[in-house]
Amino acid sequence: MFVSYRWLARHVDLEGITPEQLGNDLTLSTCEVEGIEPFAPHLSAVTVGHVLERAPHPDADKLGVCKVDIGDGEPLQIVCGAPNVGPGQRVAVATIGTVLPGDVKIKKGKLRGVASNGMICSVRELDLGDEHDGIWVLPEPNGEPLAVGQPVGEALGMGDWVIEIDNKSLTHRPDLWGHRGIAREVAAIYERKLKPLDLSLPNLGGTPAFPVKVDDAACSRYLGLGIDGVQNGQSPDWMRQLLLAVGQRPIDLFVDLSNFVMLDLGQPNHAFDRTALDGGGIAVRKAKAGETMTTLDGIERDLETSDLLITSGDEPVALAGIMGGEESKVQGGTSKLLLECAAFDATTVRRTSSRLALRTDSSARFEKSLDPTLPEKAAAHFARLLSEIQPGVSFPMILSDEGSWTDPATAIHVRGDVVRRDLGVTLADDAIAAILDRLELHTTPKDGGYEVAIPSARATKDLTMERDLVEEVGRIHRYGSVPEAPLMGAVLPPAFDRRRAVVRALEDRLSGAARFHQVMGYSFQSDDLLAAVNGDKGDFVTARNPVAPEMAKIRREVLPSVLGLLESARRQRSEVMIFEVGKGYRPEEAGEDGLPREVHQLVVAIARAKVSGENGAFNEGAFFRMRAVIDDVVRAAGVTVPCWSPHENQLHAALHPVKQVMGQWTADGVPAGVMGDLDPEVRARLGLVGELDSDVAVAVLDIDALLGAPEAPRTYTPLPKFPSVKVDVACVAPDDLPASTLAQAITQAGKGSVADIELFDVFRGESLGEGKKSLAYHVVLQSANKTLTDKDAAKFLSRLERTLESTGAALRS
Amino acid sequence: MTDTDATLSDALARIATAPDADALRAIEREFVGKDGVVASMLGAIPTLPPAERKGAGQSANQLKQAVLAAIGERESALEGAALEDERKGEGFDASLPPPRIDRGSLHPVVQVTRELEDLFTSMGYLVLDGPEVELDHYNFEKLNIPADHPARDTQDTFYCDSPGSKATLLLRTHTSPVQVRAMERLEPPFRAVVPGKVFRQESTDASHEHTFHQMEGLVIDRNVSVGHLIGAMKTLLRGIFKKDIEVRLRPGYFPFVEPGFELDARCPFCTDGCSVCKKTTWIELLPCGLVHPNVLKAGGLDPEEWGGFAFGLGLSRLVMLRYGIDDVRHLLGGDLRFLEQF
Ligand SMILES: [Zn+2]
Repeated sequence: MFVSYRWLARHVDLEGITPEQLGNDLTLSTCEVEGIEPFAPHLSAVTVGHVLERAPHPDADKLGVCKVDIGDGEPLQIVCGAPNVGPGQRVAVATIGTVLPGDVKIKKGKLRGVASNGMICSVRELDLGDEHDGIWVLPEPNGEPLAVGQPVGEALGMGDWVIEIDNKSLTHRPDLWGHRGIAREVAAIYERKLKPLDLSLPNLGGTPAFPVKVDDAACSRYLGLGIDGVQNGQSPDWMRQLLLAVGQRPIDLFVDLSNFVMLDLGQPNHAFDRTALDGGGIAVRKAKAGETMTTLDGIERDLETSDLLITSGDEPVALAGIMGGEESKVQGGTSKLLLECAAFDATTVRRTSSRLALRTDSSARFEKSLDPTLPEKAAAHFARLLSEIQPGVSFPMILSDEGSWTDPATAIHVRGDVVRRDLGVTLADDAIAAILDRLELHTTPKDGGYEVAIPSARATKDLTMERDLVEEVGRIHRYGSVPEAPLMGAVLPPAFDRRRAVVRALEDRLSGAARFHQVMGYSFQSDDLLAAVNGDKGDFVTARNPVAPEMAKIRREVLPSVLGLLESARRQRSEVMIFEVGKGYRPEEAGEDGLPREVHQLVVAIARAKVSGENGAFNEGAFFRMRAVIDDVVRAAGVTVPCWSPHENQLHAALHPVKQVMGQWTADGVPAGVMGDLDPEVRARLGLVGELDSDVAVAVLDIDALLGAPEAPRTYTPLPKFPSVKVDVACVAPDDLPASTLAQAITQAGKGSVADIELFDVFRGESLGEGKKSLAYHVVLQSANKTLTDKDAAKFLSRLERTLESTGAALRS
Repeated sequence: MTDTDATLSDALARIATAPDADALRAIEREFVGKDGVVASMLGAIPTLPPAERKGAGQSANQLKQAVLAAIGERESALEGAALEDERKGEGFDASLPPPRIDRGSLHPVVQVTRELEDLFTSMGYLVLDGPEVELDHYNFEKLNIPADHPARDTQDTFYCDSPGSKATLLLRTHTSPVQVRAMERLEPPFRAVVPGKVFRQESTDASHEHTFHQMEGLVIDRNVSVGHLIGAMKTLLRGIFKKDIEVRLRPGYFPFVEPGFELDARCPFCTDGCSVCKKTTWIELLPCGLVHPNVLKAGGLDPEEWGGFAFGLGLSRLVMLRYGIDDVRHLLGGDLRFLEQF
């Protein structure tokens, strides 16, 4: 909302208060001031000129060649096409070099061969209105021609400041949506008096009231004031200037006056051409099913039965509190008006205006719950202003005033102790009362505190309980005057939070030693992405109003979010290692309060350029790197490493059907998660082909499962006292014998003395024969109570030879 | 000159010019090895007349000692020369690039979140979590924002449907729902912070994002005042910016606090106006206020006995301020070139 400094000064003396200071004080006590700008700064750039003569242009009938005195020696020659320019006028002259609104720079020029040294401006060129059928003939505010050579803004006393207030900070203050309300705050802040304003209705005639029928509680008051003998035209300059200052383009007297009253008192109102209304009067009712109306902006609106209408002859003439109908537009020729000032239900107005996406100055005010006593004041204000401008107007009819409204004015009891406790200040009772009185919240001592009278303007929503008055005192006293205080009470370290500790450990290990980058993804997953990665096919929580239609799904799992990043990441790096810790939502499982269950997941991905030909050594693929990383990070998080084993079913539709494993702590226990290579088709759909062809492995861990798994705190094992023996073992085995069988055989043959087994070579070749492979291990034998010798190593080997027999493998000689 | 003398001088000459340890080993084998010169001299002794035997033995031994000593000397000389050579550092170019060690990174939002969690836990705050898919009830109703409240318009809520659920669901628009959840679950007095993801339905640009992170703070105790709130916020800012920061509270409207404030901090990046503070020297940092009595009631607490304050810290904004990030969309965009910087 824009507030004009000069407008405010109509209501409260601003002597000695600069606009900046005013803005600052409003910010600290009342609402957020977003900016303070001088009004129409270009008015200081144009000069008052005196048109000395207008001669016809030799080559163009419509142009005139003017001599204009701008009080600066030789008069300027300016070629001007306006029909209304003539000698003796005071005009606004833009000289060479002046920049006008819209970044128009005035240049020296020739018009049809005649030199022109400036421009005589129209109202529109100065951004002061729409008139452009002639130049702006400057008014004579003091009854005499303006002094030549002054800046126009100064000469007309139009200097003003525009204060922009953040509407959000006025959400709870229906009383601040007009200049008088803001002025009331200013008066309280600076301890000044609000200037008196006569808001009593003028003398009304005795003609029967215009019939008004209110059929719906959503209109708690409908007030109609009949006005006769009006003549539409231009509104007075002072009004036009104030409207312009707050960004309201002057239109004509009827519209301007209506807007002025709204912006002055905060009460939207509407002037109907009374002759265009049905003689049967006005009826306020809800729309009928299927009813439509065309609003002032020319758009036909489909109505719903919750929309409130003003009707005449059962035809809608206005969408209550939002916008008038096109039919009822006041025509310039009318001399009879019906001024509507009403109180409409905030929720009704808000619902209709948001459904139709039709936000107006009027609806913005009604949806804040306006004071129902305001319509009468606004009608009076309109009538009195109109009488000043057109002394001949009359109000022949009895006021129509219908509706079941009640005055919301109330009283709230406030205790000094509570104010002091909540604010943390030492204000005395009478100082508290004084602040409330300044705000026109009048206090009377009662029950050791005060009974505070809440006027109707503050009582509709804003001030309803004692705490609300604590705020009133605090903001006028200023929060800057509240002394800072330390929190009291014992500070105990919070209980150990294992989830957070485990997550932190996983994150630390992954981002540290394992060198992965952590990503944080969106909770929305696009349909395209889900299709590409064969995402979980279960039900989704969906957003009703997604940012884009294909982005409605709230993720069930984190994996697609991570996979979706791989292609662009691989374009930048030949090796991509990323992880995300995040949540997914499962509608089919009930979580807390019946909400969809949240799954808490860690997803890790490795994608790296495929090496052409042989892909490095036997265990250097992404899958085995992932195995190593996951076991390491799980251990680092203090959780027992699960046992990873192959599974006959595809564990996740995005995983390779064979190159995949599932982790469990016990054979039939809860899965810790899955890992594996990416399914080749998914990989291709993600674009990881061609020059981006990648070896991709992913892992999905269920953090809740990790928290439920056996803990594995770090433990100490005494260092061996005796030297160990190292034995190299090469086994020849059938191609399909799992390496784990050989490792088990080695452990078994060691009879408890195998301290370490390391596979260092896998070899297939003709020398071994068809369908055979050779696996070579470094084995460390260690005893707790003696030094092992070559003899022990030999015994171990011969036991191993026997053990291997049952597996189909043999020691390689 | 005897044969032995000649042998010795031959050996010494070769030792003196031996180029490396291997050459010395060869010479050693030739002279004092199992089948070497000295061995054959000793082997010939029984064939000598008895009177010469002793002398022959002695000179063989002397030869051996002399050869070994010379080899030892030459060896240390060679070693010394090798070290000297190494010291010359020939061909060394310190300006060659070191090998690349890719490192990982914690997400910057996580880094700042952790820093704040640690700061708050050191002051006795619990760190709580809450659902991202939330009930309208907790996100609005219990926070004193009933249906049709004008504040709902400014929240741009993602309302949700979930198969099988009849409740009104939404993606939480703030971390504040956890205020009431905490009151319902915990025995007062308590202090808690709630970091988390929040959502607003709005079109995105460099400074707007539909998904971002906040940290809610809540203190519930007896006799909590605006003064305590100011004290706590200053402590918080000291923790964030590592220096004392001037703050100001001004009225701000949030239905779940009363009185409600916007807390502005004196711009930590300038003294006379900069682009971060839009030339005002103040940065609007966090909304806060005393917990509204209606919210206390919704959380099952008696507002006559218990009070408290709450604040909402924009984590995403704080991360952007801290690192001077110019586009909020980088935070969740997953671009490696962004992540690698943290
Ligand atoms: Zn600054």
